[in-house]
Amino acid sequence: MNGLAEQYVLSLRLYFRNKMGMFYGYLFPAIFLLAFWVLYRSEPVPVWRHLGQLLTVTILGGACLGMPTTIVSERERGVWRRYRMTPASTRALIASSVLVRFLILITAGLLQIALAMAIGMPLPKHPFDLCIAFTVVSFAFLGLGLVIASMADNVPSVQALGQCIFLPMLIVGGVAVPVETLPDWAQHIASFFPGRYAVSSLQACVNGIGLGKSGFDFLALFLIGATGLLAGGRMFRWEAGQRFSARRKGWLTAVAAAWAVIGIFAEAHGSAAAKPVAAPRNAPPTPRRIATAPEIPPPAPLVSTPQAPEAAAIPHAKTWKEVTLAEINANVHWRDLPPDTGFYSPISPPGIPPPDDLKDQLDQLRTNLPLWPLGYVTDPVQRVRNFLYIPAVTDVLRTEILESYVPLVVFDQLQKDIPKDDLVKLLYWVATHPAEGDDTAASRLDQLGLENAPPDMDTVRERVSTYALKLLGRLTGKIR
Amino acid sequence: MAARVIVRDLRKRYGSVEALRGVSFEVNEGEIFGLLGPNGAGKTTTVECIVGLREPDEGSIELLGIDARRKPAEVREKIGAALQTTSLQDKITPREAIQVFGAFYRERAGTQALLERFALTEKADAAFDTLSGGQRQRLALALAFVNNPQIVFLDEPTSGLDAHARRELHSEILRMKKDGCTVLLTTHNVEEAERLCDRAAIIDHGRVVASGAPRELIAQSASATSVFLATAVPVDRAILAALPGVEDIAEDGPGVRFRVSDVTGALAQLMGELASRGIAINELHVQKASLEDVLIEMTGGAS
Repeated sequence: MNGLAEQYVLSLRLYFRNKMGMFYGYLFPAIFLLAFWVLYRSEPVPVWRHLGQLLTVTILGGACLGMPTTIVSERERGVWRRYRMTPASTRALIASSVLVRFLILITAGLLQIALAMAIGMPLPKHPFDLCIAFTVVSFAFLGLGLVIASMADNVPSVQALGQCIFLPMLIVGGVAVPVETLPDWAQHIASFFPGRYAVSSLQACVNGIGLGKSGFDFLALFLIGATGLLAGGRMFRWEAGQRFSARRKGWLTAVAAAWAVIGIFAEAHGSAAAKPVAAPRNAPPTPRRIATAPEIPPPAPLVSTPQAPEAAAIPHAKTWKEVTLAEINANVHWRDLPPDTGFYSPISPPGIPPPDDLKDQLDQLRTNLPLWPLGYVTDPVQRVRNFLYIPAVTDVLRTEILESYVPLVVFDQLQKDIPKDDLVKLLYWVATHPAEGDDTAASRLDQLGLENAPPDMDTVRERVSTYALKLLGRLTGKIR
Repeated sequence: MAARVIVRDLRKRYGSVEALRGVSFEVNEGEIFGLLGPNGAGKTTTVECIVGLREPDEGSIELLGIDARRKPAEVREKIGAALQTTSLQDKITPREAIQVFGAFYRERAGTQALLERFALTEKADAAFDTLSGGQRQRLALALAFVNNPQIVFLDEPTSGLDAHARRELHSEILRMKKDGCTVLLTTHNVEEAERLCDRAAIIDHGRVVASGAPRELIAQSASATSVFLATAVPVDRAILAALPGVEDIAEDGPGVRFRVSDVTGALAQLMGELASRGIAINELHVQKASLEDVLIEMTGGAS
């Protein structure tokens, strides 16, 4: 019908005249993108592993907050009442509203992808699959949005209802915080929210295998979208004063039932267990927090300590001089070391120059390091330990990109100062004796133009071990 | 003349409130018909049922010979409406609104022609939220005409407008009639109904309590004509009571007031009586009842 086409175009035009709508629809996703970029800045490819989450946030915001706000504010003003006097069917007009929003979502999604590519993300691996996944996810959330639009009496209650879906989904639903990093209980909750299915199907198209394994995700999303659109359409109120009848409430039960069925099915079939959406070789994708937040412990013991029974095969050395390569090779679990591109103990890959704004600070470190008194203490173990405090503290403090370049400077200096054979043994000794030694050096870093250690020395000591092993791996050829 | 709107025994209940309790009336082709009554009488509900916004519980509605309850879409093609609590998006312009609403219909009036007709050319591309109350109301009327309707429904078209805008709108509504359009409007403003309507129905508590041409309504009304008489010497009540068709004789300040159905006959006799007794007249006022008197008489007592 000609009228619907004109109404569709007009709705779009009106949307682009509304500054607040534009803000939520386009600027908000862009801000989210930047936030993720900063949050996961140490990852080698910007936002590559988080595009699924970002797109889900965009769709969720536009579909569950943006669309119902428009519909309900139009209803409050009496626009829907006016439409209802025309021969156009209300259902067709609802469909038009949903499709208008879909187009807005697509453009917002494309903008987000374009921005991500502008900051260095490559083109998603399966662009065609991504379009399909994007459509299915939009379908699911637009259905939810329509339910919200039908339930909410006014614009403030759209916000209230929308946030009831939006925030839990972001936090424990596997959208803003990746589902793999959620605690167990939250992963089970996440099974009952469509967010995780959205993220996993979208992410699979970005850096995974495409839609090959997204069958259940699609089923879940489709079911949620279909019940939502059906219920939302049936419960739709075109007039502000219209009451919410009992029959309408019955449709709500149908929506809730769909969610429950999906959640129970997922739980029963183990789909709830976090499945890696992308190649899991990268670091544990725990979001970075602010500098003072407690640090994440390493996922597994990196070295079999003397107390560990399985390490009994090769006896532990009594002094650092007795350490042998055999012992090192037997006891160090190289694979469990956090990757250099990860969230903690990052090391910049060789050959990549530091950003200009860090050059001065790194040059200062390079100049001062040979003159640092704590680098010349007589005990060689303490000396190595002192050096390793430098990258360890910098890492714990999360001083932007600096933390991935500092280790290289320190490693250079250590290799210049200490013969290789000794250094290997010393590093192993320091790594396996994290609780020993003097940590004065951690609070003397200001002498090198760096910040001193935070009060939490346990974390710093743990990082000393990690960096010791990382250098050890380099020296022994275990890490390339 | 054929009836364009036939409403029979319309009933509508909102929960425990009976909004319409059997409303029936007919509107003839080419006339302006008013639904008159106090706020809350059921005027708006009646119009909303007729244009298909609400489903009545009982009753039949026939518009242009079509059963409106069975074929609402067909009816909507041919009618136009400007109802209360109906508004548009802030950023829409009159030109866009007329265009998009026109596109919903098979038959369609020219956008420019409507803008001109409703004096909106200057504001054609201004956002809705910058329009004055009168301009918004004119746009609502223009939207009611996008499909060249044969019947137009106007719910309280002049409420909230200043005197000037109201007068403009009145002449516009009279023009609709001249163009051959049938108009049904609701109002609680009696002056408006007297001025515009060929016929009117008075609605109260969900029922039509009287209907007809305003003049007929007034004539039918028990109010009839009221006469005020002040004389130098008080007139004997018995003389007044003996006049034909005189009722409700009451003291009123310096004189006496009474109602009379046959003004000429009664006054001729009265003059004779006064002249024969030599009583001088100080004041004599003859006042025809207004529709307002009728409305108050018919609805005021009951509410």
